[in-house]
Amino acid sequence: MPNTPRITRRELLRSAALVPMAGALAACATPAAKPSASSAAPVATSAANPFGVSDSKPLEVWIFDGGFGQDYAKNIHQPLFKSKYPKVEIKHNATKEITKVLQPRFAGGNPPDVIDNSGANAMDFGALAQDGQLQDLTPLLDAPSWDDPGTKVRDTIDQAVIDIGTYDGTFSVLGYVNYIFGIWYSQKAFKDNGWVPPKTWDEFLKLNETIKKSGKMAPFTYAGKFPQYLYEVLLTMAAKIGGNEVLVNIDNLEDGAWKSEAMKTSATAWAEIGAKYLMEGTAGLDHVQTQTAQNKYKVAMLPSGSWLENEQKTTTPPDFEYGMFPVPDFTSSDKMPYGTLHSQPSENFIVPAKGANPQGGMEYLRAMLSKKASGDFSEMVKTVSTVKGAGEGRQLSPGAASATTAYTAAGANIVYYRWQTWYAQLKDEAIAATGQLMTGGLTPDKYLERLQKKADEIKNDSSIKKYKR
Amino acid sequence: MLFNRYRRGLFITAFLAAPVTLYLVYVISPYIQAFYMAMTDWRGVSATPAFIGLENFVRLLGDEIFWKAVTHNAGLLVLLPLFTIVIALFFAFLLNVGGGGRAVGGIRGSKFYRVVFFFPQVLAVAVVAVLFQQVFRPDGSGMLNAPLMALGAKPIGFLSDPNVAFWSVLGVLVWQAVGFYVVLFSAGLASIPKDMFEAAQIDGAGRLSLFFRITLPLLWDTVQVAWVYLGIIALDVFAIVWVMTDQHGGPDWSTTVMAAEIYRNAFQYFRFGYASALGVVMFLFTVGFAILSLRLTRRERIEY
Amino acid sequence: MTTTSWTVANSRKLARQESRRRLGPMAILSHVALLLWTLLTVVPILWTFLASVKSEDEIFGDAWSLPASLHWDNFARAWDQAHIGQYMLNSVIVVAFSVSGTMLVGSMAAYVLARYPFRGNRAIYLLFVSGLAFPVFMALSPLFFVVQNMGNLPLIGPLIGLNTHAGLVLVYIAYSMPFTVFFLAAFFRTLPTAVAEAAMVDGASHTRVFFQIMLPMARPGLVSITIFNILGQWNQYQLPLVLLQERDKWVLTQGIADISTAAGYDQDWSALFAALTLAILPMLVVYTVFQRQIQSGLTAGALK
Repeated sequence: MPNTPRITRRELLRSAALVPMAGALAACATPAAKPSASSAAPVATSAANPFGVSDSKPLEVWIFDGGFGQDYAKNIHQPLFKSKYPKVEIKHNATKEITKVLQPRFAGGNPPDVIDNSGANAMDFGALAQDGQLQDLTPLLDAPSWDDPGTKVRDTIDQAVIDIGTYDGTFSVLGYVNYIFGIWYSQKAFKDNGWVPPKTWDEFLKLNETIKKSGKMAPFTYAGKFPQYLYEVLLTMAAKIGGNEVLVNIDNLEDGAWKSEAMKTSATAWAEIGAKYLMEGTAGLDHVQTQTAQNKYKVAMLPSGSWLENEQKTTTPPDFEYGMFPVPDFTSSDKMPYGTLHSQPSENFIVPAKGANPQGGMEYLRAMLSKKASGDFSEMVKTVSTVKGAGEGRQLSPGAASATTAYTAAGANIVYYRWQTWYAQLKDEAIAATGQLMTGGLTPDKYLERLQKKADEIKNDSSIKKYKR
Repeated sequence: MLFNRYRRGLFITAFLAAPVTLYLVYVISPYIQAFYMAMTDWRGVSATPAFIGLENFVRLLGDEIFWKAVTHNAGLLVLLPLFTIVIALFFAFLLNVGGGGRAVGGIRGSKFYRVVFFFPQVLAVAVVAVLFQQVFRPDGSGMLNAPLMALGAKPIGFLSDPNVAFWSVLGVLVWQAVGFYVVLFSAGLASIPKDMFEAAQIDGAGRLSLFFRITLPLLWDTVQVAWVYLGIIALDVFAIVWVMTDQHGGPDWSTTVMAAEIYRNAFQYFRFGYASALGVVMFLFTVGFAILSLRLTRRERIEY
Repeated sequence: MTTTSWTVANSRKLARQESRRRLGPMAILSHVALLLWTLLTVVPILWTFLASVKSEDEIFGDAWSLPASLHWDNFARAWDQAHIGQYMLNSVIVVAFSVSGTMLVGSMAAYVLARYPFRGNRAIYLLFVSGLAFPVFMALSPLFFVVQNMGNLPLIGPLIGLNTHAGLVLVYIAYSMPFTVFFLAAFFRTLPTAVAEAAMVDGASHTRVFFQIMLPMARPGLVSITIFNILGQWNQYQLPLVLLQERDKWVLTQGIADISTAAGYDQDWSALFAALTLAILPMLVVYTVFQRQIQSGLTAGALK
């Protein structure tokens, strides 16, 4: 046991030297996976029950207990499902460590039926897809929607959900929330101090300078322990400067994609923020600590996404009024206009193909996509659902309203990237290197070189499955 | 006679059946499987891993992060025993020999110190890791940084500065280990006859020469044992790194160790085959260390 | 020195003053060094206790400020919502059974291997002892499948599969074998044989000799190995992480590591400190009560 105080003596050492011989005796032994045990008699399908949900099979649901908590599942989704299938027993579970808890279940061939595979410790979709663990959700798209038998589910959700949820040509991951990324601030603090959200990079630098000089608070911070919060705006700005193909090339592991001119400009610009305007101690703080510092008016701005307001609901002063502005124009010759946003369907729900009740799993997702469920959800967790019009007529909080306005204004100018979900190793390297860029440990050139090198390594590694968009 | 032999055989079989079965099933068989898995591309979820020979081993030769981890383990292998043993010897000597008590007694309150020094040893490593995460906070809310900042110094990024983080990990490991070795060395010292020290002291030996001429040589065997235990701990480090450091072995891979890379590749990248290959390499290092210590200690023996 | 005893006899005081005159400044330096390490050991722990009664705001404020009022509700949250009580109970149950099992099965194997020469004895002994050098990481993923397959056994399967405490107990026993067998075998070898032989002549069975004569004689060794196993299994983090996925089955180390992760989302750092305190305090109390036995037991085992 690794934690046992190890005690040993010469004799032990001598015997340890013999162990390779034991290894030589190694017989073949492979992990045996059981076939799934989901072969109960099928239940007839109908328009009302398109997948043939059986009353006798329990439904096991696992929710990522993160920024949105788990109450939405217990109090909105599950009661709605129950109202139609009162006899189905729902086993609700929640965790912050999806991988730790559920990966072994997949490996063991008995995964649960619905998983909200989200958070910093989510499972690798690529690995799951590669192994055929994900239920093909196309039948869900083609099923009638919960509210209106005349409308297909496909037509009730944003197209991006289908694009991004498709692995190897099969739609298998349902993003439920539109994450909208930007730079977040307190509308109250800005009003009180006469600060204005910047539209250009020059204005942004000036604002940082003004805030710094005012001595009232630090200008900028990000979750230093999780530098992905920072490369998020860095990449968005690169896309703005050089166009969407900057990100597409990175996703497709094109040669030299990371070292493009736009990336260099953006990395240099953000490194300057890192050198001059960061709140003290940023590098060692996590998202909650920095966000709480902002709630305490110790720092003015930080990059985050539309889940922020809900995540901070217990520490936010009532008059704080979250606001979000998009990444500013770098120059007037940026390829994409002001207001370009990074937005991505997330809070990813999957139905394991080898679970005991995939029919129930799909039906659960269909219930989630109903007008009522998605609307109640948006209101409860203060966010923007991927179901079209879910927020209509709902009372939105200041932050969600601000994000929704920015999203509407962005129109078609939405960018996203997928390399970090496709290539986990590249993500970890980007996290490590971005932290170094911001603290001055890496120059922008060295930073991009490192990431390019990692991307090339992955490209040349035959054991890693490649994706294209 | 025959009956006695039969009884004896039955007794041996009966007593060994349970331990050997348990051990074969839960320990030996997984290790054997690990050797095989190291030669597959298994990603942990599929039923049929493909055999790919030594491909994983070729791949790991170019894995910079893994080799960085190896250098960290190597650093710990040298530094953890060094610091722990020096500190522990120093305190054991003060407590047992060089104290201010009568002639060659321990220092006053030596029992109290021994009890307190041992505290960290009884805490679970996971608990220690979480505790120090808080102690090392990078701002005024951190136990160590608060006084620094009060003195006007810049806060130290104990876990967030890649140049410092490794030393923080080492510090915590030493912090936890010292108490046990103080007790161990104290017991060793207690078995050295008191008159040896007294005789030397009457001859006018100072503390330093008392330490180097009597204590150290007589404890040398125990010190060697301590070095081997600590070396194995250094090779096995996991929980402290995984739970305490930023990004599980960061920042910027500055604290990662072999065990962390194995865990990361297996349970985060789902490369179980590759992780098993890393495990085999880690295993070889451990065996190598064992053989090396065996050789070295044996040579010492002969020189005596 | 804090535990000054005002009751020391005058003569001893004089003697000490005498010796202090001789070793004066050194004795003071010794005390300074010892006190420094005492502080280093105790302060992080006390600081955690202090933080456990602070409010959330105070935790984010100056690290050394005293709480304005005592927030005992932190403990209520750590106990109820974070289920520290449940996890601690699970740990106690698992460790109680696994250590008893380890000692029973381990001493049986060690005794036979130490005292009964037979063909294959050496091979079995080395098989056990070589396990000391295996990095557990190598076996982690295959072990998962082994335990899972055990769960499919008829009748007893459901009791010892994944997510069962009994399954974890068996794994703990198996993984404690190398260490336990190694030391107890060494210990049994040192015991005198005369008593056992006399009993055999009197017609006692092998089993009776073991339980009624050898085990009582081996008591000191058994005690120290028991302590080691308790510490090791109580601290275990990696094995339960993989083998116990259901929250209500978790052991304490998993619970603490989870609260540390969860504190990031729930913003409940005060409950984290309370949970840490709850994890630390019982261990310190138990240790302090039994410290004499623990220290002598540990060193007896280690110096053998």
